[in-house]
Amino acid sequence: MSGLPQVVGRACAILALLVRSAPAQAIPYQRPVDTAPQADSIGGGYKVPPVQKPLPRDYWLQVLDVVALAAAMGVSVWLVLRRRSRRWLTALTIGCLAYFGFYREGCICPIGSLQNVVVALADPKYSIPMVVTATFVLPLVVALFFGRAFCGGVCALGAIQELVVLKPVQVPRRLDRALGLLKYVYLGLAILFAVKPALARDFLICRFDPFVGFFRRTGAPYMLILGGGFLVVGMFVGRPYCRYLCPYGGLLAWCTRLARRGVTITPNKELDCGLCSEACPYGAIEEMRAVRRNCLYCARCYASCPRDGELAHAKARLVQVTGAASS
Amino acid sequence: MTGARTGSLIAGSLVVVCVAILATDYALAPRQPFAARPAAEQKKVTDARLARKTRDGVVAWGLIAAAAAFLMFAKGVVRQEKPSAPGDRRQAKAPGPPRRAPAATPPELDLTFVDHLVAKIGRGKEAAIPLLQAIQTHYRYLPDDALHRICELTEITPAEIAGTSSFYGQFRRSPVGEHIVRVCHGTACHVSGARQISEELRRYLAIPDGEDTDAARMFTLDEVACLGCCSLAPVLMVDGHTAGKLTPATACEALKVTA
Repeated sequence: MSGLPQVVGRACAILALLVRSAPAQAIPYQRPVDTAPQADSIGGGYKVPPVQKPLPRDYWLQVLDVVALAAAMGVSVWLVLRRRSRRWLTALTIGCLAYFGFYREGCICPIGSLQNVVVALADPKYSIPMVVTATFVLPLVVALFFGRAFCGGVCALGAIQELVVLKPVQVPRRLDRALGLLKYVYLGLAILFAVKPALARDFLICRFDPFVGFFRRTGAPYMLILGGGFLVVGMFVGRPYCRYLCPYGGLLAWCTRLARRGVTITPNKELDCGLCSEACPYGAIEEMRAVRRNCLYCARCYASCPRDGELAHAKARLVQVTGAASS
Repeated sequence: MTGARTGSLIAGSLVVVCVAILATDYALAPRQPFAARPAAEQKKVTDARLARKTRDGVVAWGLIAAAAAFLMFAKGVVRQEKPSAPGDRRQAKAPGPPRRAPAATPPELDLTFVDHLVAKIGRGKEAAIPLLQAIQTHYRYLPDDALHRICELTEITPAEIAGTSSFYGQFRRSPVGEHIVRVCHGTACHVSGARQISEELRRYLAIPDGEDTDAARMFTLDEVACLGCCSLAPVLMVDGHTAGKLTPATACEALKVTA
């Protein structure tokens, strides 16, 4: 533990370095626009306007996004594991949907950053910003210790589906497992398309992101219809995209194998009444025990627990024990 | 009830209206191929596009708000349909066990049996245990009235009766249910969660602490040492039926064989 101050100091130093090395000025933009109609072909004295390029988001704001991501995950872990509070988690979910979804318009998200990281590994000429790398790595690190806290209330794609869950049905276990394999297929495809040479490269995950159209209030009609379909299905099947398609969810599921803490239904504390297992819309409670790789950190199991009040750490209260002592 | 329902209907129709507006707007939007136009006409086209963009943006926000309202109301409706609060749920679950007409407590005990018994077995102190055993066999427990009667008819004192009947495990002083549920608490069953099974059965039958029979006198819960089928642990026995490999949920199911 003595090394903790040093670690914190070093982290601060790295952070300061990141902030200082920020590219503050706009990059000159000279892309030859050959494909667009030129002034000559338009005729009528048309003048091509100067190419405009918006300035990139301030670097410190980008770092702030990463900090917000980390903080949101920390709060999510605390709310779920310590407070066991579904209500506050819902508040966090709405907050994250508003910030990462509607304000930041779904970009940059760890799911998509997966492709940038893959390209950076495959293509030596491709430079990847630290912010993107951090966005990619942070949820995985949290998953290594606490499970899929990112999925619960932080991921904007998850949050929008989380909020539409209305009357979930329990998907039959075998179907659930079989569909769950789809996300690895999608992960493979996304990597395959991302490692192609620069011009043929395609970021499938971003192109077929079903909800980003809602965050930006615009998009290809077929994607908007697809996203609407996902949301309508999501009212009755809990979070279909997260469970069956999200490629990043596949990576997180692998990381949770090492997680030491996580949503747990403890045999010696619980009643084994099965209410939690009925309450879980994601089929993540098997045989009355939480399955960490499937658990999406929604805290519904805790909200449905008859012993909720006794088990929440931050809500400890005095219990009368005289009756127990005399018997 | 009606508030949430009407609310969700109104919000739902708003969602549909918004989607319809957006779809119509999209369908009606002119899609001319790129062509050179005079500046005035081009300006008109641009203005129309910008106006459509603003209009659609407003409708989209309305759609999002309506969808949020719809979800909130709809969640209210769903919650009313299915009580999700644990307290409500458990109460709703309690009257689950198969209950025929509640076995009312017999108001007057037919004590002629006791009179015959005393005449047959004897009035001495040595007759205490045989008398108690016979009464237990007949009534399935030791009714207070019968014990009072014994004290009146024989030389046995109430203190002796109390002492004997509370000392031996074979005697019980409270009425027994129609079916006896023996939950095994042997080593194998204990390790596999017999305690949770017993707890769940108590909750399911709404048996208060310190008692072993439910209010309708259908089931008496008994914790026994071993039923001799440890490979099926945890095990319980209802009358003659044995049920093994139980979970708290299936334990309650197992009681239904008696119905």
